[in-house]
Amino acid sequence: MFEILRPGFLKLDRLWEERPMKRHYDVVIIGGGIHGLATAYYLAKNHGVEDIAVLEKNYIGFGGSGRNTAIVRANQRTRENVRLYDEGLKLWPDLTDELDFNLMFFNCGNLNLAHSEAALSSFRLSINTANFCGVKSELLDRESCKELIPALDVSDRPRLPILGGMYHPPGGVLRHDAVVWGLAKGASAHGASIQQGVGVSAIDTDAGHVTGVQTNKGPITCNKLAIMAGGYGAAVCAMLDIELPIHPLTIQAMVTQPLKPFLNHVISSGGYHIYANQTLKGEIACGAHMDPQVNYTTDATAWYFKHQAEAMVELLPCLERVRFLRIWAGLADMTPDMAPILEGNLEFDGLYLDCGWGYFGFKSGPVTGKYMAEYIAREERPDILGPFTLDRFLRNRYMGETATTMKYGHYD
Amino acid sequence: MNRLPATPTQKIDHDRRIRFVFAGRQLEGLKADTVASALWAAGVRTWSRSFEYHRPRGLYDLEGEGASGLVSIDGVPNRSAGTTLLERGMTIAAQNVSGSPDRDVYGALDRFDRWMPAGFYYRLFHRPYRAWPFFQDRMRALAGLGRLDVDARHDPGVRTEWYMNADVAVVGGGAAGMSAALAAAEHVDRVCLFEARPWLGGHLDWRVREVGGRPLRERAIELARQVAGHSSIRVLTHAPVTGVWGENLVTGFQVGPRGDGGATEGYDERHWECRAHTIVVATGALERPLVFEANDRPGVMQVDTAWRLARHYGVRPGEQIVFSTADDLALEAAADLADLGVQIVAVADARPEGLDGELAARLRDLGVELMPGSAAAAVGGRRGVTGVEIAPLEGGQARSFPCDVVVAAAGRQPEIGVLSSAGAGFEYSAHAAAFVPKSLPDGVFPAGRVLGLTDVEAIEASGVVAGLNAATACGALARSGSGDGESRDADERALGSAIRDAEGRLAGLPGPAAGSGHVRGPMTGKGRKAFLDYDEDGTWKNAAQCVEQGFDVPELAKRFGNFGLGPGQYRVPGQNLAMAMAELTGRPVGDIQCTTVRPPLIPPSLATLVGPGHDVHKRTPLHEDQTARGAIFRQAGAWKRARYFSDDFSCREEIRNVRENVGLLDSSPLGKFRVFGPDALRALQRVYISNMTAVGEGRCKYAAMCNDTGNIIDDGVVTRVGRDDFYFTTSSNRAGGTVEWFRYHTRYDGWDYNLVNLTDNLASINIAGPNARAVLSRVTDSDLSGGAFPYMGYREIQVGDSIPARCLRLGFVGELSYELHFLASYAQHVWDLLMDAGAEFGIGPFGLEAQNCMRAEKGHIIIGTESEQRVTLLDIGMGWMWDRSDTESRKVGAPALRACADQTDRLKLVGLRLDDTAGRKSPEGPADGALVTAREEILGYVCTTRYSESLGWRYALALVRDGRAERGTSVELFQDLGDGPRRFAAMVVPPHFYDPDGARLRG
Amino acid sequence: MTFRITCPVCGSRDVYEFTYGGHERGPRPAQEGLSAEEHFRWAQFRTTRAEAQEEWWYHGAGCGVWFSMWRNPATNREERPEPVDARGTGPTTEGDGE
Repeated sequence: MFEILRPGFLKLDRLWEERPMKRHYDVVIIGGGIHGLATAYYLAKNHGVEDIAVLEKNYIGFGGSGRNTAIVRANQRTRENVRLYDEGLKLWPDLTDELDFNLMFFNCGNLNLAHSEAALSSFRLSINTANFCGVKSELLDRESCKELIPALDVSDRPRLPILGGMYHPPGGVLRHDAVVWGLAKGASAHGASIQQGVGVSAIDTDAGHVTGVQTNKGPITCNKLAIMAGGYGAAVCAMLDIELPIHPLTIQAMVTQPLKPFLNHVISSGGYHIYANQTLKGEIACGAHMDPQVNYTTDATAWYFKHQAEAMVELLPCLERVRFLRIWAGLADMTPDMAPILEGNLEFDGLYLDCGWGYFGFKSGPVTGKYMAEYIAREERPDILGPFTLDRFLRNRYMGETATTMKYGHYD
Repeated sequence: MNRLPATPTQKIDHDRRIRFVFAGRQLEGLKADTVASALWAAGVRTWSRSFEYHRPRGLYDLEGEGASGLVSIDGVPNRSAGTTLLERGMTIAAQNVSGSPDRDVYGALDRFDRWMPAGFYYRLFHRPYRAWPFFQDRMRALAGLGRLDVDARHDPGVRTEWYMNADVAVVGGGAAGMSAALAAAEHVDRVCLFEARPWLGGHLDWRVREVGGRPLRERAIELARQVAGHSSIRVLTHAPVTGVWGENLVTGFQVGPRGDGGATEGYDERHWECRAHTIVVATGALERPLVFEANDRPGVMQVDTAWRLARHYGVRPGEQIVFSTADDLALEAAADLADLGVQIVAVADARPEGLDGELAARLRDLGVELMPGSAAAAVGGRRGVTGVEIAPLEGGQARSFPCDVVVAAAGRQPEIGVLSSAGAGFEYSAHAAAFVPKSLPDGVFPAGRVLGLTDVEAIEASGVVAGLNAATACGALARSGSGDGESRDADERALGSAIRDAEGRLAGLPGPAAGSGHVRGPMTGKGRKAFLDYDEDGTWKNAAQCVEQGFDVPELAKRFGNFGLGPGQYRVPGQNLAMAMAELTGRPVGDIQCTTVRPPLIPPSLATLVGPGHDVHKRTPLHEDQTARGAIFRQAGAWKRARYFSDDFSCREEIRNVRENVGLLDSSPLGKFRVFGPDALRALQRVYISNMTAVGEGRCKYAAMCNDTGNIIDDGVVTRVGRDDFYFTTSSNRAGGTVEWFRYHTRYDGWDYNLVNLTDNLASINIAGPNARAVLSRVTDSDLSGGAFPYMGYREIQVGDSIPARCLRLGFVGELSYELHFLASYAQHVWDLLMDAGAEFGIGPFGLEAQNCMRAEKGHIIIGTESEQRVTLLDIGMGWMWDRSDTESRKVGAPALRACADQTDRLKLVGLRLDDTAGRKSPEGPADGALVTAREEILGYVCTTRYSESLGWRYALALVRDGRAERGTSVELFQDLGDGPRRFAAMVVPPHFYDPDGARLRG
Repeated sequence: MTFRITCPVCGSRDVYEFTYGGHERGPRPAQEGLSAEEHFRWAQFRTTRAEAQEEWWYHGAGCGVWFSMWRNPATNREERPEPVDARGTGPTTEGDGE
């Protein structure tokens, strides 16, 4: 019935090749995370561009790709965003097949909780937008929330009682590391060269063209350069003195001890500023907090550790005696409108930029890679990436992904 | 009972028996037993089943180092048997077990390891993709360890919290830590000493070996006595450290008298945080496990486990014990156990030479066979140990020894958790075969075994050095002598010479002993069941498979092969993983980085972190009154506010009463400010988009603030109360940020003005409705007539003869209304006066939702409801407020408004009238958040929509793209909340539905 | 990292007592002749290196004073960069002020 024990399964090949570093590549990608690897994969697979190097300062998946809570969904607030994330969501099964690597997509659905009438109104807007675009999403009353997740406390006891929820069945979680490794496998199989331990210290330009990079392993020249460095994107752009409306912040997440499954959906709550899900190992993974100051450390804080416990116990009181096992942090590059900046030939010919994803970088990874690859190969902005320009901030055309402007770092 | 005779090192009370239940069996332990010692003494060997293979697991350590020792107690999962005190009547259950611990249904998984190589699930179960959900559900069903009953509420007991400051925080109450605390306390006033165990003493606590003519244990008692008696040292025992969070914030929790069983007073657990100037880290050493076949069998245990079972709990660890260890401490343990009458069959030591001669001789005298250069290769037995094979590490014949316990360790590894979380870096010392601190953050001083030291006198001496350095670094010198130069010099000389003396003494003592660099025993085969990580069943073979697949550094292998991600975190695989990666890739260990240690170092329960709980919110001075009137509250920003006064959430009655009679609203959270001083006007001109020079005395001016992208961020009224003296209101949500905002936007200017936030000092009551004047005139003598006190007027009046109130005649809800601001302490009195005066007019309270409906009918916006990041002040039809001519003041928001003034294709605020085709009065219709659409296009959305009794039709305020925002345009509303699409016809109308001419509020 | 910040009025305090006010970018530019692009760049665009930068903080839970200081976001330590020229301007931030 199923090809479980197909031949070759037990042959444990290297997932990606270790190729010697060359001095020139057609395309150099800075950042060995999901975005960089996906772009390399699609460049090679869809566009026949195989002379690619993905430069990773640490090991692949070191940054945000390996530190997020791997939640995926497409119930965004505006149509432009729904379109991108919806295609991203539909990509996971295909990608699993193509890469022949189990990305462990758990299509459990996401339940977002409302604690105020205003939150319910904003849910309705997202739900209507999603359904209008053919993405399934529904409004639940508090009893239905309880039915979906029996462990929820829907009484009036919590400081912010649950008034209802937005349930989004197509969403879920993946194994984030598997996505990194699967894409590395695919990119490498199509000829891309993955260089770990190679950090870029400077970007070379000549007469308005990008010509290459300086690294700890020596200079590399290239025809095109893509900056896909996640939370470090702004710092890489700063090498060319490119200014961006981006604030890199530290975002924290944590897991509890492993428990037998009882939480079968992703839950999130804006009121408590939390999202949580139970991993395939049984841990409750949760997080979301960002301190608002620019921060390139990946240090967790005692303050949030304690406050996260307070929020979790409010929503899921059965966790009271459960213990937190591990807390960590990653970087999120926040823009004022919670939408990314995707650019080509920005200030310099041959320079491509993929940044500003904030905490949406995981769910957008492969789909962005697919279209950034097209952008790089054809030198023409794909329609679906149309809205995500940098100059929208110079024209005061925010994308409306949140109702209010994200205040992080911008004193506005 | 398997107990040894009483000795002074024991913690237990032989005469006090405690009954408990394990897996349905009634068992007995002794007072002061841990769950682990009681279970082992009662002969229970299998306590849980392992995560992946469901192998039997049980006692390995007594320190909570992993999943093997986790049991469920009274329904609470994942409790650490080794560190939990036994309590009367406990019901203990094995974890990850289907059936009984000894006969687990999934035990057969153990045989399928061939099909489960490292990362197998990434390569399986997804071809074809539709197969995946089937496997996913089965994998998920097997996941997790402890089972949580989501309906059961477990009493978290009494939880408290404690916040401390310290000059020097000392982590670890062993010989090094206590010495450091004593040394530091001679020079600073506040030393905090944190010890995870319930007692001080570290590994000296149970050691009876004599050094310098005195048992080590007595030295520990002596140090503990001095520490306890020192007035500058605060000691917290049973207080594990969870982390160091930068700039020396040390956190942890402490198990209290109630949590320790027995006491009914005090607390169960408390969360604590200690902000220290400097930290001494004296966390000692962990055992480094030895990797060999079946090294996870119940009966294979750490050196200190066997030793402490005997010495602390009087439990005979086994009938016949074989050691396979690699340091002198293990030899001492073997000799000590033999002295206690425990049969030690043989001691294999991985070190070919360099064994402590005295201990070796002692063991031989006791008839114990000593085998240097050898180690365990495999143990036999299915559910428990029945024998062990010992073989020389350099090759040679293996020998079998029957035994029921194998004490196994590859050596010791410094317990680097605290240092690592404080930000230290580490390097591999080939001599000590250990990762030792290399780079240290400011103010952090390691001492004792965490430095690799093994000699007890050196450990103590290193503590003195660290304590003195920590005292110096936290400014002991600067603060001593109270400015008296001579005595300060003397102190400085004294401290300097004390440090020199201590360092000299340490230099004269032995450094770290040579360690064994082996990770594994002389195994034959690939290490299929030789575990590097017990928590998630990571074997030696899995580690090799990681390397084969390209995951050849610890951080990658950790993630791909699951090493060190389980309940014990880094402890068991810690240093071994790096050493294994070195061996498997043929690189020197020194080239390999350990994995990052992440907090918490000891997992705290969520309830303990929560502590007593913090429901922080503000209540208005009328909260009790509103409660008594049946208000339903909602959190609104910092406040709890009355939103409804009945369970009819359409608020029909509340609205009707205001529209027809008169109502009272507790609007106390409204932001209230006074700004005065020579530059007050300039400050107002900067932050308000309106022309503030036009603010006159006795008049309220409605004004708005924008941000640098032209979004409206606040609106309110401003009045002039003196020449350079203004009073203004802000929306409730902005009240907290207003001072900050003013000062930010004037921070370069050096202007002279004072800004006072009066929000919490003043209560606010809004009286609204056609009878508002009639009611108010009964409680004040002031002239309220339309001529004397017109709409948008401001007066200072006396209420009830004596209470001064600021009175603002406004009309947010579209009716004649007055807002009274007065000292918060009078709130109830004024409310009662108004209620009494209004009784004959049918006065009643109304809440925020009624206000929300009425203001929307009137077309008054609420920021964040009718505005969002995509719309500017101009887009919501409030551009008239902007003083375009003023560029001098550099108004915040003005450049953005100018930039957008001529843009098209923006969202604009419009009014919508929904056709009620059926002519019914039913409030059937879309809800807030409905889309404004045209065919396949989204034009905008509905911000607020209600059916209005006053109007007799449904209205909506919506943001719509300007092309479609012309009056008279027909649009369609779309709503699908998961219940199927519905469409509604609507027409664009001016967004002032109710009393568009304002006759009612001017009346 | 739960770091601390030195308030010029109150001394060293926990970071959670403060509001972050972003990069130092100089006073609000004069409105005359300011193009839309210049304004939005000034208001939103920054270079953010993992090096010491001058930034604004507000001690809301203390004295209510805005002050600027140098902090390295790569370490969260207060840190002034080495002066690169006679004016002592840091090498890493834009907006030298006026």
